[in-house]
Order: sequence, then C-alpha cells, then structure tokens
Amino acid sequence: METVDKIEKMAKERKEIIESFSRKKPENTYIDEYVEGLSSIYHTIITDIKEETKDVKTFTLQADKTSSTPSLAPFNAGQYITIHVNIDDVPTTRAYSLSSDPDLASKGIYKITIKRVPNGLVSNYMLDEMHVGDKLDVSAPAGDFGYNPIRDEENVIAIAGGSGITPFMSLAYAILDGIYDCNLTVFYSVRTYDDIIFKDEIEEINKKKKKVKFVITLTREEKDNYLHGHLTKEMIEPFIKEFNTVLMCGPKELYRSMNEILNEFNIPRKSVHYENFFVEYIPEEKTTYKLKVVMKDKVEEITCKNDETLLVAMERAGIKAPSLCRVGECGYCRSILLEGKVKMIGASLKKAETENDYIHPCVSFPDSDIILKLDI
Amino acid sequence: MNYDYIIVGAGIGGLSASLNLAFNKKKVLILEKNSLPGGLVTTIKRGRFEFDASLYDLMDYGSEEHVGSLQRLFKKFNLDIDVLPIPYNIRIKSLDDKFDEVIKGDIDDWILRLEELYSGSMSTFRSLLPVLKEIDEALNALKKGKKNALKDFPNFTKYLDKNAYDALVDLNLPTETIHVLGYLWIEIGSPLNKLSFIDFAEFMYKYIFKRPVALSNKNIDFILKLAKRFQELDGKIYYRSCVSEIKDLGEMQEVILKDGTSYKAKEVICDLSERYVFKNLIKKDYPFVNQKENARTLSMNGLVVYLGLNKSYQDLKLYNYRYYEFQNLNSAANMKSMKEFYHHTIEAIVPNIVNEKASPKNTTILVLKTLYNDVLWNKINASNYYQIKNDLANGLIEEFESTFNIDIKEYIEEMVVATPFTFERFTNNINGSFFGPMRLGYDNSIHRFISYEEERIPHLSFVGSSSLFGSGVDNAFYSGYYITEKLLEDERRND
Repeated sequence: METVDKIEKMAKERKEIIESFSRKKPENTYIDEYVEGLSSIYHTIITDIKEETKDVKTFTLQADKTSSTPSLAPFNAGQYITIHVNIDDVPTTRAYSLSSDPDLASKGIYKITIKRVPNGLVSNYMLDEMHVGDKLDVSAPAGDFGYNPIRDEENVIAIAGGSGITPFMSLAYAILDGIYDCNLTVFYSVRTYDDIIFKDEIEEINKKKKKVKFVITLTREEKDNYLHGHLTKEMIEPFIKEFNTVLMCGPKELYRSMNEILNEFNIPRKSVHYENFFVEYIPEEKTTYKLKVVMKDKVEEITCKNDETLLVAMERAGIKAPSLCRVGECGYCRSILLEGKVKMIGASLKKAETENDYIHPCVSFPDSDIILKLDI
Repeated sequence: MNYDYIIVGAGIGGLSASLNLAFNKKKVLILEKNSLPGGLVTTIKRGRFEFDASLYDLMDYGSEEHVGSLQRLFKKFNLDIDVLPIPYNIRIKSLDDKFDEVIKGDIDDWILRLEELYSGSMSTFRSLLPVLKEIDEALNALKKGKKNALKDFPNFTKYLDKNAYDALVDLNLPTETIHVLGYLWIEIGSPLNKLSFIDFAEFMYKYIFKRPVALSNKNIDFILKLAKRFQELDGKIYYRSCVSEIKDLGEMQEVILKDGTSYKAKEVICDLSERYVFKNLIKKDYPFVNQKENARTLSMNGLVVYLGLNKSYQDLKLYNYRYYEFQNLNSAANMKSMKEFYHHTIEAIVPNIVNEKASPKNTTILVLKTLYNDVLWNKINASNYYQIKNDLANGLIEEFESTFNIDIKEYIEEMVVATPFTFERFTNNINGSFFGPMRLGYDNSIHRFISYEEERIPHLSFVGSSSLFGSGVDNAFYSGYYITEKLLEDERRND
C-alpha cells in the first residue's frame, strides 16, 4: 500500500540521517553553559567589616576562589541577596539590599550593610559573631526595586529612611560609574548625626558635585549643615522637575507621609516605586498559637507567637522551611494554609494564589491556631 | 513507598500526563523544581499588574459547535476552565514587502481581501480547506493506530513527504498568498520550506476550525486548577524538588533529588527535553539518543518584554489584539534577518482586547516578543548582561513604536524583560529556546510520530513542548495525554 510504504520510507530516511551524526553526547550551547554556571548559592568570605555607626556594620564579601563558585553573579542597584547562617544549629536566612557598586560584582565583591535590630537573631549574630575571614553563603541577587532606564525619568528622587539608605548607595555608585544616565537626589531621613550610615562616602560623593546628591535630614537632632525634622514638601520642592521618578525605601510610615507630599507635586502613580523593606506587625495583644506543620513524611506540632512570622516559628523549632527574600516578594516560601487565619504583611500574592490558599509564611503572622502544608 | 509513575516537571505536558494517569487510578508523584507548577505557563506579578508569561491563545479548544481536543480532555478530567473567544484582529506589517494589513472580522472577509490583493487567492484557498480537514482526519486515524484507514485520505499520502511551501504551490495558491497566509509559521518556529505540510495543515486546521480561545483568568489560575484536580485524584506534587539523577534499576526506576532524597517508580515520564535529560540526569550512554540530538537543529530563542501601561488600550490606540512585524513575509528570507540583534521580527499581544480583566481599569498590558536565530548571545558576560538586556528591550520597544506609530514608553508603569537565559534558568529549555528542537525536514512532528515506537526507551518517556508533537500548549497537553494512553495500553497488554 502506497501510504504505508511511504511511512516506512520516511522512518528509514530519518534513521539514516540520525545515524550519520556523532555518537558523542551533544555539546552545551553558550547559553546552556552560562546558565549552568549560575548558582542559586554563592560561597563567599568576609574580607572586611566596617563600623558605620554604633549599631551598623558594612560587610565586604568576596567570592571564595577555592569554592565551586569562584565568581559572583552581576546585579542591578537596588537588588538584595539573602544570607544563609546557622545559629545554634538552626539554619536561617535574611535578605539585605546590596550597598556596593554593581561594578564590583564582576571583581567578585558584594557589600551588605546590617543594622542591629533589638532582639534580632541574625543581625546580632552578624554584628557580634562574624569576623573577617569567616565564610558566608549567599543566594543570587534578586528583586526588582531600583532604577529602570527604560521606564524611569531622568530626574530621580530617592527617599530613604534609616537603614533604607543601603540600596541607594549602590544606585549612587551605578550612576557615578555611568551605568545609568540620570540625576539622583537622595533624601536621607535619619534620627541623629551619629546614626548616619555611609557618612564619609556621602561626603565624598557630595563634594564631587556630579549627578548624585545626598540631602540629609536629622529628625531628632539639630546640627549645622543638616536639615532638621521629617521630610517636608519645602525640602523636596527645589529638586522636582517636570518629570520625576521617585524611589522609596524605609519604614511604612515614611511611605504614608511621603505619598501625601508627592500628591501635591502631581507625580503619577507609575513614577513612584517602593521597596518592601521592613515586615512590621505589632499585635494588639500578645498571645501564642499552635502551629501544626504537615510535611512530606511527618507532621510536627509547634507553637507560634502572634508577633513572629510562621517562618520564624518553624526555624526556631528546627524545621528547615524554605525561604529567600523574607519580605513576601519572591514567593519561594509559598505554602498552603490548610486551616486557620493569618495576617499577611506586604505579601505579593497573585490572585490565583490567594484563591488557592497559598500564603507566604515569611510575612504571615498567626491569628488563630494554624495548620500549614509544607512539602519538605 | 513506590509509585507507578514519577513525573519530572509540572509543566503542561507533565500535568496532563499526571492527570490522565491519576484519572486511571495510578499512583503518581510529580517532582517540580520551582515552587509553583506550570513551567513557562505562569504569571509574573509586578505592582498592580499580573503578566502571563506565555499562554495567550489556547489552540485546539474550539467552540461549543466545533469541539477541539483540549476542550474534550478538560471535560473528561472534569476541569472547569473559563475561556473567552478570540476574534480575528491581527495587524501584519512587512518591511521589505511594504505590506500593512489588518485581519479582522471573519475568515471570509480576510479571503476577500486576499483576493483583492492577489487574484486567484479565493478559489485556491477554498479548495485548500477540505485538504486541511482531510489531513487532520488522517492524523486522527493514525493516532488511533488505524494505518489501514489511511487509504481513504489520498491527500495525506500525496503530501506526506512535502514541505508546506511546496505543497501550497502544488495547490496553486499564489506565491504572495502563501507567504501572507503562512505568517503563523512564527508560532510554530519553522520556516515554510522546512516545515512539513502535514504539521502545517494540522496547525491551520485547528486555527481555522477549532478557534483558539483566551483564558478568562491568568495562566497560574489555569495551572493551579490542573494541579488541584490532580491532587483530588490522589496525585502528589512535591515542589522545590529538583531532580539530579534518573537511574534504571531494572525492575524499578529511581529518581534522585539534589538533596539526596530518592523515589522509585515503574515508569518515569519527563516533562523536559530529551537532550536535557540524557545530558544531565542519566549517566548511562545511549549512542542513538546522542546521534538524534546531534542531528537536530535548535530552534529560535528570543526576548520578551512584558509592559504594564497606565492608560487604556483605546487611549493608547492599541486597537489590534496581535501585531506582527516581519522583515520579509517569506519565512525563509525572514529567518536570515533573525541572525542579528535587529528587531524586525516582532510579535505583540494586547490581551485587554479580548479580556477586559487582563489588567486594572484604565491600564493595558502589552507583550512584545522578538526572535533570534543564531549564536548572538555569545557576547554576553557577567559584566555586560544587564546593559545588553536593557539595550535590546529598549530597541524592541522603539521598533514597535516606530513601525506601528504608537507611543508606549512614556506610559510604562511596570516592566519585566526575559531573555533566553531567564527562560532556560526557569524551565531548562535548551538554549533558552521557545520551541524545543526545530521541526524541520526529517524531524517534523509527523516524522517523530512515525518513528516513535522504534525510538522509545524502556520505562522512560517524554512529554511537553520539546517532545513528540512540538511546542504550543495544545501540543504539550496532548503529548501528555497521548503518551500516557500508550503506556496504559502497554500495561493492559502485559497484564
């Protein structure tokens, strides 16, 4: 029959073509090779620790040349990395904005700047226990906060509160390096003169009188050459042009007060971008709930205070829960809430995730006893 | 605990295979490296926008009257998926041909317009339609194993070894009409002179008679429905579970995760390309598989820019659902222009045109995609990656703006740019390509299908867009169904 003959002939031809090729495993393409070289974890060594203020230190991390990751991934100013530490045998993670010049990444250097948080497990550990020469594993840079040369305007106003200054330090260097062609004015709101992070670097940059300028306001101290009090419309007004992009990083109340001011300047919504920097939640009344964690092959029952996230409670109990950004953004920790109620602060959930009972445990505070499904 | 089947990867093919197996009461475990299922069919959230990564036109779904395979399978699995019709509303522009036309209304309006442009289009197109139908019917017979029935489909036999271009010439379509009608080659990823007419006819038949639909909700909503249904049928999915090795233990197959945990099953089904699996997950050497992969041509990769715009599509004057820009309407000639970082091959989608809910009120989503067909990315390194990515995205946006005379840039509120590096990292697609191995010459879907039984590896199957039926959500979904049907048949035979 004609069709069947034709089919057989086609199969035979196919086989002949295939068999005329090399029997060796196919080579990687350039892209395959590049992607294979990207790691989700980079091994670094702390090569310098600089005391910025009495409770803030900048850690210089250098790629560990003897490890499986002798170089570091590039990053965009504004992105964060997640550090992985083991404290009293409990593995945990924290995300910190990169504060260094993006150009340094190609030389195998990242810098992060950490502020001591009262009772903060990781910040205290980093500030007190880590020394030059210690090893530190970090995850690949992530996050989409920062300057976008296609989307954003040439006049950039950055608003930083406290340690929210860190991503803008990186952005300042990126602009001075010529990575971005824009003017940046950073309004840095900080309690007192002694709380100013990057004081020397900021002075150095301001002296250059180039495309980057820092304006510091001290909220709890009056001092010559510094503005005083919370940011006001009058402070910002001289720097507003016809088209502006506003980037904000700091506590939520800063965003609220700034939005009122920005409305007066008629800056459209599309031109204002925020970093999810702090996960803050103070319950009216402190209490403790039961947290039942349903894993692949076992179930564990632990407790969770209502002023700590489910992730923190699990880590405290020694459960190796997945986590990356810890501000509800990346979705790596997403798990299913089988029972109970949570308060989620600033989680970036897709509509369909919410409808399917997904929560991000890294920003979820319990509001009842909880049963959580975690496939580890 | 041992499983009947382990599925590596919860992409469309993996989910459809799993659904069919669980539906047939098999014990199934899916291992997925990401924290959500779906692979490339996913949703990216930025600010108040949710961008669907890939699935905009769900092919082979059809209408109530003309039921496509996907609609039938969704019904079978009790899946309730809300869809919306997609009207013809496409603008095509070609620079070399100075061609600029809008396909709107009905297929008949379009044919009339083609007749005005190129005399002889109408009658030849009308006689093409029954040929497309005949080929689709022949393929269905073949898929059901009825080789003897093929004698009833003489056009199938006639065109079995012809490429799409030659066949359309043989069917007397004017050359210009062939190139205009063939614009959909860009969705298949192979030029008409390399694409089998059988593959082309099947695609065109579905496109014309089983009209594609849009999902009413986002990609991830659809995917989570599939995953949920699978779990209701007692299936298990483990996320953040990246497979590092698949071992043939004879009686059993062992699947080992990066963290060392291992699972066993009688059969393993990979929703990954054969090339990836044999290179990275299987230690044993299969010379024929290597030869097969070495013989293949990698298909195009590209750049996708997802834009959230702060105006309505009416205000932006984005009146068409899809926009296509070509350097040349002739697919083979156009392929040559894709060897540079030009952006003269563009596909643009405005989902809001078919779905008011695609983004918040008075905003619009615009997705721009361009394809490249060479080793262009070799100049990328760690220090210039972001710069090049940004320059390319900017070039693509500006090309779209000038070609279609539409202002975009000043309205961008959110944007995401994905490169082949992004796609490969997320899905393990070789070379970050969209289409899997290119369907061409001896390696069209029809050829893969004919040689499928002979080339099978015991206890290891492949589904998804790099497999048997090629890329596209419909093909990926159907591959999962078809291949598991074969496996179930084997089981029944061995019992």
